[in-house]
Amino acid sequence: MLELRIIGKPIPRHDAWEKALGLTSYAADFSLPGMLYGKVLRSKPPSARILSINTTTAEKLPGVRAVLTAKDVPKNESVTRFGQTHTMGGGFEGLYRVLADKKVHFMGEAVALVAAETEEIAEKAIGLIKVEYQPLSGVFDPLEAMKPDAPQVEEGKSNIITHYEVVKGGVEKGFSEADVIVENTYRVPFVDHAYMEPESGVAWIDEDGVITIRVSTQVIEHFRGVADVLGLPHNRVRVIGTYVGGGFGGKEDITVETFLALLTFKTGKPVKLTYTREESILCHSKRHPYIMEYKTGVKKNGQLTALQARIVSDAGAYVYLSPWVLLYSMVDAAGPYRIPHVKVDGYTVLTNNTFTSANRGFGAPQVCFAYESQMDELAKGLGIDPVEIRKINYLEKGESLATGQVLEHHVALKETTHKAHRALGEKTASRGHLKIGRGIASGMTSYGRMVFLHDTSRSHVSIEMDGSVTIRAGIQDIGGGQASSLCQIVSEILGVRLEDIKIYIADTALTPLAGTTTATRQLYMSGNATLMAAQEVRKTLLKKAGEMMRIDPQRLDLVDREVIDIEGSGKNLPITEVVKTCASEGLPLYHVALFKAPFRNLTQYERIEGDVFPDFTFGTHAAEVAVDEETGKAQVLKLVCCFDVGRAINPLSVEGQLEGGAIYGMGYGLTEEVILEKGMTLTPSLSEYLLPTSIDVPDVQTILIESGDGVGPFGAKGVGEPSVCSVAPAICNAIYDAIGVRIYDLPITPEKIVKAMKEKRKD
Amino acid sequence: MEYIRPQNLKEALRVMKKRGGRTILIAGGTNVIPDMRGKTIKPQVLLDISHLKNLSYVKEEKKRIRIGSLTTISELVSSKVIQNFASILSEAANQLGNPLVRSRATIGGNLADASPAADTAVPLLVLDASIVTERDGEKRREIPIDQFFVGPNQTVLKPDEIIKEIFFPKPDPKSKIAYIKLGLRNAMAISVVSVALLMEMEREECKEVRIGLGAVAPKPMRAYGVEEVLTGKKINGKLIQSCCEEVEKEVQPITDIRASAEYRRSMTSVLLRRLIQQITT
Amino acid sequence: MKKPKTYSLEINVNGEWKRAEVTPEETLLHVLREKLAHTEVKEGCGKGDCGACALLLNGKAVNACLTLAMQAHRQKVVTLKGIGAPERAHPLQESFLRHGAIQCGFCTAGMIVSAKALLDENPQPTRREIREAISGNLCRCTGYKKIFDAIEDAAKRLR
Repeated sequence: MLELRIIGKPIPRHDAWEKALGLTSYAADFSLPGMLYGKVLRSKPPSARILSINTTTAEKLPGVRAVLTAKDVPKNESVTRFGQTHTMGGGFEGLYRVLADKKVHFMGEAVALVAAETEEIAEKAIGLIKVEYQPLSGVFDPLEAMKPDAPQVEEGKSNIITHYEVVKGGVEKGFSEADVIVENTYRVPFVDHAYMEPESGVAWIDEDGVITIRVSTQVIEHFRGVADVLGLPHNRVRVIGTYVGGGFGGKEDITVETFLALLTFKTGKPVKLTYTREESILCHSKRHPYIMEYKTGVKKNGQLTALQARIVSDAGAYVYLSPWVLLYSMVDAAGPYRIPHVKVDGYTVLTNNTFTSANRGFGAPQVCFAYESQMDELAKGLGIDPVEIRKINYLEKGESLATGQVLEHHVALKETTHKAHRALGEKTASRGHLKIGRGIASGMTSYGRMVFLHDTSRSHVSIEMDGSVTIRAGIQDIGGGQASSLCQIVSEILGVRLEDIKIYIADTALTPLAGTTTATRQLYMSGNATLMAAQEVRKTLLKKAGEMMRIDPQRLDLVDREVIDIEGSGKNLPITEVVKTCASEGLPLYHVALFKAPFRNLTQYERIEGDVFPDFTFGTHAAEVAVDEETGKAQVLKLVCCFDVGRAINPLSVEGQLEGGAIYGMGYGLTEEVILEKGMTLTPSLSEYLLPTSIDVPDVQTILIESGDGVGPFGAKGVGEPSVCSVAPAICNAIYDAIGVRIYDLPITPEKIVKAMKEKRKD
Repeated sequence: MEYIRPQNLKEALRVMKKRGGRTILIAGGTNVIPDMRGKTIKPQVLLDISHLKNLSYVKEEKKRIRIGSLTTISELVSSKVIQNFASILSEAANQLGNPLVRSRATIGGNLADASPAADTAVPLLVLDASIVTERDGEKRREIPIDQFFVGPNQTVLKPDEIIKEIFFPKPDPKSKIAYIKLGLRNAMAISVVSVALLMEMEREECKEVRIGLGAVAPKPMRAYGVEEVLTGKKINGKLIQSCCEEVEKEVQPITDIRASAEYRRSMTSVLLRRLIQQITT
Repeated sequence: MKKPKTYSLEINVNGEWKRAEVTPEETLLHVLREKLAHTEVKEGCGKGDCGACALLLNGKAVNACLTLAMQAHRQKVVTLKGIGAPERAHPLQESFLRHGAIQCGFCTAGMIVSAKALLDENPQPTRREIREAISGNLCRCTGYKKIFDAIEDAAKRLR
């Protein structure tokens, strides 16, 4: 094949055009005749026994068609493997409970469901359901919850869900060799995904008894879990994924699907359920708060000798993906550094707080805040430059992580740090009470799922009689250009214009399953599957064209619905001729490809060793921050991100991810916190949960490095999650540079800065 | 629930008197609608005065400025008269909420809502504003603004009383004004602390001073104690220090999810000092 | 339950007069989405914190969730679909597309409305003025940069 025609071009996306025109039908935009409206009754207390639930009055309200509680759910509780196809132990399973039964475990837990003719009636019915609670003592701090006498969140089960270990060498020896040792405890809070589109879906049951759920989701394969709850065969529950108005991991677990299926099953009517923003903040998963005790040792020459860490994460009231997130953190905990002696202990613990699960970065941002803050503290202890200490210790291709995984692909850290730092340009001058500081931080974040999950993706590419092309793929599009990237790949391989490609996505009945849109895996997995499928179709077409034109297929190329001879004989053939010939000879004009990630197995999960991820994306953030030393208000003036993206399939999309991720990380660093006090949410809406606005953000600068050494199509790496991890520590390090105080817990609010400066003045 | 759109203020007042109790006025709706959503108010009648265009005006008279209660926040921002004579009011207005909210929110609504952090209240306190109200069958009232607020979201307004106008004397051309708002982000931020200052200097002496504070007490307040410390004195570092100490004593901030009382207290003196320095240099 | 009292709303949406029966507390957002099939107006929070529902009411950009439907009685409303359509897209829509300013797209309708209101009033905004004009529109995906670029570019093209 010749040089790339469309890969690497900043093409506008097909879905973006529809969104610009207001044509896209998001989950809540869809309605069916006779549709009912669903609402959820949620618990007020975070920990209580349910003594009674009286639904009689609610049921009698005119217009109410169903009121359901736990007793009405065919299988209300199951031990779910959260989408794994085979059991591997490792604490990767958890209780999935649809509706609270004898107890409520967190504030906002679903207790009852209502379907009614109008939203108003449904809401009124919710208010008429009488629940008698007996408050129980709860536990709201994971460290407290680890104690043997702590109240059990789930009766009969230890609050400690899982404990993992990473061991390399012997840390005692390592610390004895260190000239400087830095010990700190870092804390990060609950945060919300705060996608602009609240959770929503519509479900209906058709004449065949099939339940279809049209829903905003990152995972259409929850159809299995929903089917199991209803006691239906898997092939009678269909999930159609809409274009999602933001996911970030918050729509990775089941949100409205089961509720919708139950209500439509019970009433026989279509049902719509949309969460209010307050409901979304209250009850959907949060990012895990972590308490991270880090001890790091370094020699005078700048080489790290040992790292010891104890990480405790708050799993909230249900297991969900907590063990997985912790495992990611375990692999990432030591950072992308060469450290001869490492010991990490990680725990994830149940509490009566809102349950925690996937959030962009999936355990990587938390530990990055810790290890990148440590690096700057070590640099300070040695009296050397923060850039310098990192360059001395960055891992290189061929070296291994503390878990033993060898980094088989290019590690661009030195280059990303050099470029990011340099791009800050001339330092803004401090003036008056505004002190300017600069900081950098590097991150390593995996892309692709854990290899022992045996991840696969499928894509179906076909060519029509008129030469237009159809892609069918189970891929869920959450705004990162997931669908359009597949179109771009097919356009490249089959030489068709983007306008001539139509992609159907995210339908469990009609599109080959592509796996979850999570773990920064879709470009890698579905991109490769689509590449394979398109290449097969190309092969078939060119082979037949070669016969028809009597030219060696190696000399042929596909360009805009024509087969051309690249060696300039001038011969060409319309693709429709080739297609018709293939069709009449019974040759397949389609291919469905299955792409497999490398399959490995861990023999045990107590000590994390060996290959866990297919690859990592490395990058550095550099920040310049102005801190008002009297009010503590920090303003990010400049933010640069430099990442090795492998290959930028669509530079606009890649930059968009990096820019968006940078601000997602900035919010994490400076303003975002879901404040829970004894399990009660004190930040109920977007007035209290503070996202960065357009006048809070710097103009993020992105620098792309394309090593070509990713495992995705054309050597691409994933950037969706890597874009977030190192932002908060870069800002934290910049704040230290500005005013000489370090904040060890996020978000770095003005008040924390003022308090820390006051403490510093006392010393 | 009922929706009533009166043709004029008189009609609105009649409805308020007649229907009493759970009749809620709605103008811009930027507080009323969220309050209904949060069920903190449950109106029986929504009395929509947003169309009474004759209550939306900014008038310059010889000695004073008059603002109709239905003047929107964005109109306050762009009014040349306000920019000329009371720039702290347009400055504060420009930091209220966001541009979409400012197109609808009204000065009357902001004052009637009576948040301790009310953005327009703080500059108006310093401008010595009065609030003109009417009730059906009663004489109109002119309530000095520092007597208008009673507590968090509480005013002296009777249930059937409507704010008609806000007026203030044109500040002496020799006086200087300044305003600052501290929030946790740069838009859509409820004040953590806000301060407005008016000072008239005679040589190095403070001839007259008015200080307005927001979000540090159950209501927007004047710092009369600090004003006393300042009036008639020569401005120097020592005096500014005394003011800061005095203001920290005078405020009664609370701790909430945005900030602790301690932080609010110290920020009040930080911001006050900055404004005094800004005005006197 | 007693049937709530309703009112006959007449409203001009994107140049067309439409009617609906509405209750007093019903917001403009709710009526447009649920009764007048204008689902291009999005609900992100329902209380004015996010700007996803922004539309032009008599030419001014406002939150539809903070306006009662009846307050828009006999008034003119313009939504994203009134700003541009497939056959004649507005330069803002084209610019957003070209600059990659749309990811999940949920904030886009409100964003373009606020941008239009800005350019109608100020055809030559500075980048600072652009940032201020959309400070009531939250975006969780883009980090805003490409949105600033798109509006800047559209302003140039409109001149």
